[in-house]
Amino acid sequence: MVVGCKEIAELAPLYLSAELDRARSAAFDAHLKSCPACMQELERQAHLDARLREGIMAETLDAVNFDRRVRERIAAEAGKGYWLPLSGLRGRRWALAAVGIGAVLLVVAAGYRGLLGPHVARVYADAALDHRREVIEQQPRHWLVDPAQIAALAETRGVAGSAPLALAGNGYHLERGRLCFLDGRIFLHLVYSNGAAEVSVYLRERGAESLPGRVRETENGRNLRASNPGDEHVASFQTDRLTVVVVTDQPADAALQMARFAATRL
Amino acid sequence: MPHSRSMLRGARRLTFDPATAEDLVQETLLRAWRNFDQFEAGTNARAWLFRILFNAFYAQGRKVRSAPVLVPLQMPGRETEPQSRADHTLLEGAMVTRALDELSAEHRTVLLLAVVEGFTCREMADILSLPIGTVMSRLSRARQALRERIEPASPALHRVRAGGE
Repeated sequence: MVVGCKEIAELAPLYLSAELDRARSAAFDAHLKSCPACMQELERQAHLDARLREGIMAETLDAVNFDRRVRERIAAEAGKGYWLPLSGLRGRRWALAAVGIGAVLLVVAAGYRGLLGPHVARVYADAALDHRREVIEQQPRHWLVDPAQIAALAETRGVAGSAPLALAGNGYHLERGRLCFLDGRIFLHLVYSNGAAEVSVYLRERGAESLPGRVRETENGRNLRASNPGDEHVASFQTDRLTVVVVTDQPADAALQMARFAATRL
Repeated sequence: MPHSRSMLRGARRLTFDPATAEDLVQETLLRAWRNFDQFEAGTNARAWLFRILFNAFYAQGRKVRSAPVLVPLQMPGRETEPQSRADHTLLEGAMVTRALDELSAEHRTVLLLAVVEGFTCREMADILSLPIGTVMSRLSRARQALRERIEPASPALHRVRAGGE
């Protein structure tokens, strides 16, 4: 397949969003190598995109207080008789839960790094920071959303392809996945949602490392640990083959609940 | 709330009013919460939410507002010139976002979805209920329009560059 300058201009949006199929992408690359004008044009476009992205992301948003107001309104609606999707909680119980969530959000005021003490293990601090940046602050990133693609990605990291979907359930569905670095190691970052909150689960093929921290409880023969680096809550455990770290910005027990569930499924 | 920041960013560019933007996103999240059983697991939840956001926006007959009149970036006198790299970055960011706000609503929307939020053309076609060809051509024209507003000389920025940063 051969593409010319006209096709380059037409296909540029698909090329920049990585949507071209392999054949057209290869033809596109081949043309760019032989056409400095098109290459320069595309580089200018990519540079302008980056400037726009940085400009918008630099603007401040008071999402924490906004989230609190939305949760309160949902709680009010739940009190009128709406069902909370998936969780099975009704009206008043959900209202109480929402008040609890709101209280946690109100506590989020002192910043992140300032609350990290030296006693917090690096892998937990990195996981909490990654969750904050990628899930709470929603930095624009390329995530995989197709479960089959997420499974394939997991297998490239020595994690069973069935693991991501095995953790869906308990009111949560698998929403997206990508790779990230925690404490200098590559982890598979999976995000699960119940419609109102998101939980991050970080998976890695177990090496020689052992997880730090006090054992809080045992589930299915796995020792569950818990930590609170800043505003996030972290729970972790290891199986014979995997290291698992769970992070939420919800009440502390949410991380442990997901960890308990994961301990029975992995 | 999941994806609320992304939606607030987008809603601000539709309404140019923080309070109206918050109302719109709140309404979007409430609609999503009520209809969560309609969400198909394994599909893109963020794209689903943005589709609800745009539906909510247009369903209420809201019109995309034009950008507010803004104070020019370049001010007279050396005392207002940016001195540091941080100043330069802030100024450049403000200049680009102002240029975005000057674009038509159609161009602003596709640039936000594609460049800032990272949606693919196919996802945008689904969100905006448009053919993918329309999305692609609109995105190309939007990029060109943005560039025309930014690249013809920015005196303030040129002063920074000439100052030996």
